[in-house]
Amino acid sequence: MTPDGMTPERFETLAEAYGGDVARWPDAEREAAAQAMAARPAWAQAALARAGDLDAALDAYGPPRAAAGLMDRIVADAPTPRRAWRWTGWLAPAGLGAGLAAACAAGMILGARLSTPAIPETDSVVTAVTADDTGAYPDEEA
Amino acid sequence: MGDPDEELLSRVATGDPAAVRALVARKLPRLLSLAGRILGDRQEAQDVAQEAFLRVWKQAPKWRPGAARFDTWLHRVALNLCYDRLRRRREVAYADPPERADEGPGPDRGLMAADTGRRVGAALAALPDRQREAIVLCHYQELGNIEAAAVMGVSVEALESLLGRGRRALRAALADMKEL
Repeated sequence: MTPDGMTPERFETLAEAYGGDVARWPDAEREAAAQAMAARPAWAQAALARAGDLDAALDAYGPPRAAAGLMDRIVADAPTPRRAWRWTGWLAPAGLGAGLAAACAAGMILGARLSTPAIPETDSVVTAVTADDTGAYPDEEA
Repeated sequence: MGDPDEELLSRVATGDPAAVRALVARKLPRLLSLAGRILGDRQEAQDVAQEAFLRVWKQAPKWRPGAARFDTWLHRVALNLCYDRLRRRREVAYADPPERADEGPGPDRGLMAADTGRRVGAALAALPDRQREAIVLCHYQELGNIEAAAVMGVSVEALESLLGRGRRALRAALADMKEL
């Protein structure tokens, strides 16, 4: 038993389970492990080195590489659920502007209509409208 | 301690394309590492990664901050997908057993002896599933013991036992490698 209470058996169990790097051992036991190492450094180093050899062998087995295009395929699967919302967000100010523009236009038309009777409907005006509607001037038809 | 993935996930939930790419860049290597070593098959690992991300896209808008670490949840999802594939493999194997087992080192596997990575991969594949999972989660994925135990749905003591037995079995399987 070491002064901190960690037995050599426990130290070896941890090395066997979590490997030769004490930084990867459970948080709650690292302090006691450090004290055990200080108390019996040669023995502790031998236990850690043995576990470390297996760690190194494990590290030789690398992960598979992603095939070309895998990331793009995954990204393509991602939905864009807020795209409609974003368009709405973009359109909101535009809609407001359009509303104001429409209101202005309506006001102008109404104003024009209200003011029309003040303008005398002379023959020339009626003739011009008639010509626009038919596409031909009365003089040309005559 | 906050979840380092939470902010990115919230942006993914809004459909932010840059966040989507960032999350894939961050998690794809981890998913391939996990599934590749659990399944021992590159193509299947990629399929699992793609399926796992489909779950992510579905889950992102519903994610509740603080309920669980995203990385832990993602490991759980990927591991379940791996379980499904391992189960299907066993069903196929029972229905149509292979002519010879392809597990572990032996005198007819001399070519593999030159390749430590392949030797380790074969030895890892020969472990019981739960021992392999424990080693993959703790050694390769670098999950803490509490997190790894949570992903596997076992106690920390059970995880430790699985790790110890798995590593002893690996050491025995690789005993002819001089450094072990």
